[in-house]
Amino acid sequence: MSKFDYKQLIDHDAMLQSRSIFWDPDIYQEELKQIFNRCWLFLGHESQIPDAGDFLRTYMGEDDVIVVRGEDQEVRAFLNACSHRGNKVCQAEWGKTKAFTCSYHGWAFDTSGKLAAVPLEEVIYDNLDRSKLGLVPVARVQTYKGMIFGTFAEQGPDLLEYLGDAAYYLDVVLDASPEGMELIGSPFRVEITGNWKLPVENAIGDGYHVAWAHAGAMRVVGSIGQGRSESVLGIGKDNGGLDSSGQIQVTLPPHTILSTLDGQSGYALYDNPGPCIEFTEQKRPSVVDRLGEVRGNQLYGSETHMGIFPNLQIIQGLNLLRVIHPKGPGSFEVATYAMADKSAPDEVKEIIVKHVGQTFGTAGLLEGDDGDFTEAITHSADGYATRQMKGWLGMGKGRKIDWEGPGDASPGIVNELCQREFYLQWQKTMMAQSVSEILQQPSADEEVS
Amino acid sequence: MAKKKIIAAVGKDTDMETGYRIERFLAAEARALDEERYDDWLAMLDESVEYKLPILNNVYRRNRVGNTTFRETMIYDENFDKLKQRAAREDTGMVWLNDPVTHHIRTITNIESFCTDESSVYDVRSKFTLLRSRRNRDRVSHTGTRQDKVKDTGEGFKILSRIIYLPERVIVDKNLNMFF
Repeated sequence: MSKFDYKQLIDHDAMLQSRSIFWDPDIYQEELKQIFNRCWLFLGHESQIPDAGDFLRTYMGEDDVIVVRGEDQEVRAFLNACSHRGNKVCQAEWGKTKAFTCSYHGWAFDTSGKLAAVPLEEVIYDNLDRSKLGLVPVARVQTYKGMIFGTFAEQGPDLLEYLGDAAYYLDVVLDASPEGMELIGSPFRVEITGNWKLPVENAIGDGYHVAWAHAGAMRVVGSIGQGRSESVLGIGKDNGGLDSSGQIQVTLPPHTILSTLDGQSGYALYDNPGPCIEFTEQKRPSVVDRLGEVRGNQLYGSETHMGIFPNLQIIQGLNLLRVIHPKGPGSFEVATYAMADKSAPDEVKEIIVKHVGQTFGTAGLLEGDDGDFTEAITHSADGYATRQMKGWLGMGKGRKIDWEGPGDASPGIVNELCQREFYLQWQKTMMAQSVSEILQQPSADEEVS
Repeated sequence: MAKKKIIAAVGKDTDMETGYRIERFLAAEARALDEERYDDWLAMLDESVEYKLPILNNVYRRNRVGNTTFRETMIYDENFDKLKQRAAREDTGMVWLNDPVTHHIRTITNIESFCTDESSVYDVRSKFTLLRSRRNRDRVSHTGTRQDKVKDTGEGFKILSRIIYLPERVIVDKNLNMFF
């Protein structure tokens, strides 16, 4: 039995979230165990490690993980810890290697994780069983159309089952062309004060804050070149009006989707979107052929935020992929990658990379505004009385809309459906006794009935 | 035996007066930014300015960019229009993070000025510390190196290009929305 009353911490019916879930160190330790040690987590993309010996490092929760393509072309993942004393066997964030050699005593592990060499082995050890001393593998590593995921759970659903209906939407990014998607270059990495859940739900669902929190940026983005759009993402120039017709938020437990569905506003924040829009429209007929009318005409080219539970956000339009790594209850690290259709011309990729930097990179015009809120929401809860408060996500409750794609849809991107769903899934995952309970749960009854 | 050259010079040293004027220029530039006088700062840039801050990667020496397929990404990769746009954002009065005011103190030091192939264009190397302080105790200090090309226009200097090297892989700060 858990010592936490998750039904009380997340009151889904009243749409309330206890502020202590952002602050409590004990809850955080439970999150590492119940969420990050059991869910499928994004590790990287195959385009980052194309050849044998290519590796990269990332985190699964707070665990330091090496992802490497072996001599047999297989992608594996290991805890970055020597089997001898636990020192890191890799200090580089990416690269190419034949072996990972511990800097402490020189034990060397090959790219399949086997202990390959031990200095002075024959002199100092009588019967060293190297086969038992390999790197600790991540229990399961699977890929979906180039996206590499791993889980520490030995049992439970496969990746495809975990992604479920979210794959329908992911395909708009991953499968719009036979070449697929690629991540470009090295990620932006920032460590920000605040609890990890806040930047996740902000990115997957908070269309409300854009006009106000980012007011300074929204006044200037898209102002160079072809001129600022009158209505960026449906938000009027004076930030006063809102046209959300046609936009949706969708739940596909445990995942979420937000989309403008207009097939074009993905480039609304770009200063010089010309070549990107041209590429998108050239491509569209073949995307319709590959993925059908709904995805080809409505989703392709739209601003679409895909939230893969717990900590991955794929944002089409802004063309970035973001992973939020927890760093204690009061801190998180963001890794932001530019992403593009692999078949796109260099000119388009160049515009995308620059634009990701200028909007949501480390010095992005918009990225920098949110750190103040995550810090304040998290650390005001240091105060006992403040911690008794609850956050409220009541917007769009009960509003439904017909939608041809999978999932339950609610109208408008200024809506709190996705955020409510995230906390509901958080609650369910924290309470789940077994891994299979986490996945493909029915959506919240009251949202669909 | 010829005397061993111990200074790895970038080029021929500028004359003393030019070197002094460049130092004064960089100090004045830092002050304009500290005082949030962005129009004055933009006037110190040539309109063809290139302004870059590459991401430093923690990779093994044998795997550095150039030796691998990894493409370099930039935290800043700006032209004049982009810098103007960033300055305009600061001036909207709607960047809530900077109200109450965020204080910046730029210290520019180790300034070395060298001649280039082009007369009146100088290669200037410097170190900086940028202290940012806001709210009660949100204080972050960033230290790095700059490599500038500056041009003497006859009516003062203009910055032709700036590359900023910031030896911080994971930026432990809310953002880097400031000019270096």
